[in-house]
Amino acid sequence: MQIIPQIETPVSKNYSIFEENLIKLLNAVEKDPQYGARTDNSLPQIIIEQNFGFNALLLCRDLKENHKIKTAYAFNMRDKNRISLLSDLITLKQLGLKDIIVFEGVHPLKTEFKSAKPVYDIDILGLGLMLKRGLMNDIPSDLFNFGAVIGASAAVDFLKVKKLVEIGTDSFFINYAEVNPDESIIKYIKSNNKKLFLIVKELSIKGSLNDFIKTIDNLGLDGVIIKIMDESSNVFTRK
Amino acid sequence: MFLTEKKDVKEIGEALKKYKKIGVVGCASCASVCLTGGSREVKEMKKHLEALGKEVTFTISIDEPCDKRVLKEDIRFVEDELKETEAVVVLSCGTGVQTIGDFIQKKVVSGTDSKYIAQTEHIGEYYALCGGCDACRLNFTGGVCTITLCPKGLLNGPCEGHNGNNCEVFEDKECVFVKSYDLLKKYSEEDNLNKIFEPRDYGHSTTRTKI
Repeated sequence: MQIIPQIETPVSKNYSIFEENLIKLLNAVEKDPQYGARTDNSLPQIIIEQNFGFNALLLCRDLKENHKIKTAYAFNMRDKNRISLLSDLITLKQLGLKDIIVFEGVHPLKTEFKSAKPVYDIDILGLGLMLKRGLMNDIPSDLFNFGAVIGASAAVDFLKVKKLVEIGTDSFFINYAEVNPDESIIKYIKSNNKKLFLIVKELSIKGSLNDFIKTIDNLGLDGVIIKIMDESSNVFTRK
Repeated sequence: MFLTEKKDVKEIGEALKKYKKIGVVGCASCASVCLTGGSREVKEMKKHLEALGKEVTFTISIDEPCDKRVLKEDIRFVEDELKETEAVVVLSCGTGVQTIGDFIQKKVVSGTDSKYIAQTEHIGEYYALCGGCDACRLNFTGGVCTITLCPKGLLNGPCEGHNGNNCEVFEDKECVFVKSYDLLKKYSEEDNLNKIFEPRDYGHSTTRTKI
């Protein structure tokens, strides 16, 4: 099972120092005998998430071009309408970045920007539909590996997964909610030969990462995404 | 019913600063039901204005000030007073305020804040169930509007953040997609559970669109 770190670009840190520290972290993870082994080279080494911080596309570009790191770009439907999303997708295309991971996004009321107007112009299924049909001759239908973040704790999640499979979603990322996800959802995704990951927040891991992995080892996941708080995270090394 | 809330009288006073002779128009429909523009509130507004040193030239409650046909009929009762009136405080939703402003061609001041199309549970307890979003999908959702009731307005939900059966944002409330699922099961409309909704066409719901 591959371990992949995910991080949001920060708000107030210096870009170069952040990038430098991130590389150190990735090197440390790669050298770790337990988590460093890359079982599948098609998977990204890191996921960079756009939230409140500086433009994550810049960092994706630099990681790819300057450090040869396979990077995935994660973004939400909360902040951008379909025009702005298209602009990002065209940028990704030009940068040669193929792996995108989309989620609906935490509502502004649950962030520090409570008075912000949420966009949610389209939902992730809507974006998936548009992408898999091809967009305005600029984005062919098979250009991106389209990853969708989902919940897996209720029967309605299963319905959403079915629809996402139907439109051609390439991989699924289950948002870990302190309890193991519904096994029927996992089975369904795997039976459709889709890649499946669990996204776990660093803070949800109480003991060592190894102990946590043991609790999910039997789920048949292709990997675990560890969403780290910052680039100085010790989640990969603490015992 | 369209829900309104009373505006702070200070704001109304500020908007009327340069006007002396003021009329007050109430709405005997929605604003009356939510106690922001009925005859009692019209009287209250008259008192406020007089306390501010204004001369109230007339007060009237119009059945539906948003309906030009009704407005045209009712406004005749204060035709003479209106001539000497400098500004009119309207206790109705924004549609009523603008309809009256356009009709009388005088300064209008809104006495309420417009909220949403509301279901009335009791007086003082209202719920938003419909956002008037142009293309109604209630026939496919078991009769609950996911656009209005989901804080993210999703069509193909739920989002990844919901906690079991509950909403991510309003944690003590059931996720509307769970409710929709239960209703579709109840009505044996399982086919609709698999319906994929296309992205909304906002080109059809811009506010200047005329039906």
